[in-house]
Amino acid sequence: MHWRALSEDTPGPKWAGLFAEYWPDYKRWWLKEGDSARASYLVSRRALEDHMPEIVPLYDKLCELAGGGDQAARFLSFYCPPPYLAGCSQAIWTGEEPVLVRNYDYNANAFDSLVLRTNWQGRRVVGTSDGLWGLVDGMNDAGLAISLTFGGRRIVGTGFGVPLILRYVLQTCTTAEEAGAVLARVPTHMSYNVTVLDANRNYLTAMMAPDRPAIITHAAVATNHQENVEWISHARFTATVERERFLLQRLTLHRDPEDKFIGAFLRPPLYSTAFSAGFGTLYTAVYRPRLGEMEVRWPGTVWCLGLDAFQEGGRRVQIPGAA
Amino acid sequence: MPTVLKNISEIRRFFHRNEDPVYFISATNFNLLGLDEWVKNFKYICYIDCYGGKHPNVFCPSEQPHAEFQSIEDINNYLLQHKEVIDFIKRRGGKPKFVFLMFDEETERLSKELGADVWFPKAKLRTKMDNKIETVRIGNKAGVPSVPNVLAEVKSYEDLQKTCEKAGIGHDLVLQSAFGDSGHTTFFIKSEADFRRHEHEIVGEGEIKIMKRIDCRGSAIEACATKEGTIVGPLMTELVGFKELTPYRGGWCGNEILSTAFPPKVRQKARELTFKFGEQLRKEGYRGYFELDFLIDKKTGDIWLGELNPRITGASSMTNHAAFAHADAPLFLFHLLEFSKKKFQLDVDELNARWADSANIDSWSQMVIKHTDDSVDICTEAPETGIYKMLEDGSVVFDRFDYHRRAVESENEAFFLRILQPGDYRYEGADIGILVTRGRSMTKSFQLNERAKKWIHGIKKTVEGKPLPAANAGPVLADPAFKIL
Repeated sequence: MHWRALSEDTPGPKWAGLFAEYWPDYKRWWLKEGDSARASYLVSRRALEDHMPEIVPLYDKLCELAGGGDQAARFLSFYCPPPYLAGCSQAIWTGEEPVLVRNYDYNANAFDSLVLRTNWQGRRVVGTSDGLWGLVDGMNDAGLAISLTFGGRRIVGTGFGVPLILRYVLQTCTTAEEAGAVLARVPTHMSYNVTVLDANRNYLTAMMAPDRPAIITHAAVATNHQENVEWISHARFTATVERERFLLQRLTLHRDPEDKFIGAFLRPPLYSTAFSAGFGTLYTAVYRPRLGEMEVRWPGTVWCLGLDAFQEGGRRVQIPGAA
Repeated sequence: MPTVLKNISEIRRFFHRNEDPVYFISATNFNLLGLDEWVKNFKYICYIDCYGGKHPNVFCPSEQPHAEFQSIEDINNYLLQHKEVIDFIKRRGGKPKFVFLMFDEETERLSKELGADVWFPKAKLRTKMDNKIETVRIGNKAGVPSVPNVLAEVKSYEDLQKTCEKAGIGHDLVLQSAFGDSGHTTFFIKSEADFRRHEHEIVGEGEIKIMKRIDCRGSAIEACATKEGTIVGPLMTELVGFKELTPYRGGWCGNEILSTAFPPKVRQKARELTFKFGEQLRKEGYRGYFELDFLIDKKTGDIWLGELNPRITGASSMTNHAAFAHADAPLFLFHLLEFSKKKFQLDVDELNARWADSANIDSWSQMVIKHTDDSVDICTEAPETGIYKMLEDGSVVFDRFDYHRRAVESENEAFFLRILQPGDYRYEGADIGILVTRGRSMTKSFQLNERAKKWIHGIKKTVEGKPLPAANAGPVLADPAFKIL
């Protein structure tokens, strides 16, 4: 896997370059059920205005950088995209310095491999990119960190692709409480468990779904089911119950130092080697939101990136079995 | 057959000739082990085959997914929808009766669909009784006191401190959420760091039982509330939190039954309180089998209500195999009697007096052995169910297959029930099996004795595992960072 870390304060040539590079693949994915299966530009933009008005100017700017086309703008709205699902585990370590740690288990071929640092609309945000401006995990300069796992339910509804919801939270919120209110309010098109941790150690997990109100819990651990396992074969295949239990044991039974806790994510049973099935662990991300620090880890490698100490660069990571 | 059963002998004969099929449906049959020998047409339907197909009354569906269930209710609901289980029940005919360790409203629905009666109070009522907050309330009504406590929602550590100051119970605390077993939902909290570790299990969980921490011994007692009165079993010791057996601090890991475990006064008091509690349960609409945990203050001998389990439990096998159970009838038989709609008369006082007699109690202990190492692997070898012998040098060897725990002849033998099977994940907290021995497993001061430690070590030594696949993308494989222009 070839990973990159890029920084650009305001949407500009770097972002436009990224769009040009990724768009052909995204376009293929976005059109896989045909153009008419996706919402129109008018509907998409109105949805953004209704639910995330603060970032509409940013959206308009990105559409412009993307060339101003209809399909690109509809794609960038993240409104009712084709369904996608992943694995993932995440947990909050509540020791001396609170940490959000997560494993991203997904298909290596459908992944940006990109850490993006931005200062859009005057808010510094760093995180793992998805769909060019969405995020699957990230942190902002107010000390708010956020991460998602797939919620293990097949239901697809009317709403936004969750990576944009994460971006929106980081652009507009400063505390876990504010984030919780946004996550409860903005419609999602599939089920996800989103965990947030703020600089005051407050945290929550929102179990979001398109067909029922979000459940805001005080869970410190999230894997791939919500209150009950609903999609049994997915649960079995991704060992979601086992991973949750393992993480809860780590938190309550042990007094692991921070590094040991993080280390557990890089070994089985949390670390998944099911790359051929599209659920291998692509990376482990570590966020220390009070310090503004972020790391991307692979077995044997740590890549330190932060809001302040952010050095652009790249890494070629070779994970046996992964692309 | 008389229309009204008038004594123990007639009750025993009634079950000896029972025609209706009765099923205990659960992960394993351990809790009601041996009951099939008292009740004709009694079968076990289990998820885990602890006996490798050799137990004549245990039925396990052969085709099973290797899923990690979230609860025992999930296992039962899975079993009740399995074709092999349904075929088995249909083939045996009659009007089936189901008993469970745990069940929910979905279990009730599935049972109804199979034309079976659930021989327990309704899940809704059981859940209500199981709520630790509700238990305190029932105890207070019955005159059975709980450890000084306060019931409150907890929002933060500061909030908890305020609540405790107001209640005057200090800051050395034991917290319990409303549901769940003691190993997982009991938190010992003395500092903010302790609180942070369990914060996610406390905040947002509704009312929490906040208790003053006392220096106490755990004990368990089982009883059965019948229309003729509450029948009370013997007071048992509890094995709690031994690191050789369980990784959970405060987690239950076994019991002992012996006539002198507690002073006569304490035993008598516990029996009286259990009787009173049972009578109150009947007023609340609950009937049948239940278990109470009592906390006995080490210094004063004061006896406090710990928790109520409105069901059969992990200790039921002890109660139902005690000497008095063999002499009269196992306690669970009275539960079946209560639900059978058969008319009966019983002098409960006389029975209780007899069961209080120490001559009717001989010493046994059971230890639930879990994997206690902080490791995860896949089990490749595990000891099988049967009778094991301890040799002169302290090593433990398999002697013969058996499914009767009473087949244990001496303190140098033990009955082991296998739970972990080759191919299963072995993780911290995974059940390996249950070991039943004659005699005590604890010292007088309630520590594991040497013999028990040898048994545990001997069994654990025979479990083997192979590591899970791991990945390595070490630094040698990662290019140094390069600048992107």
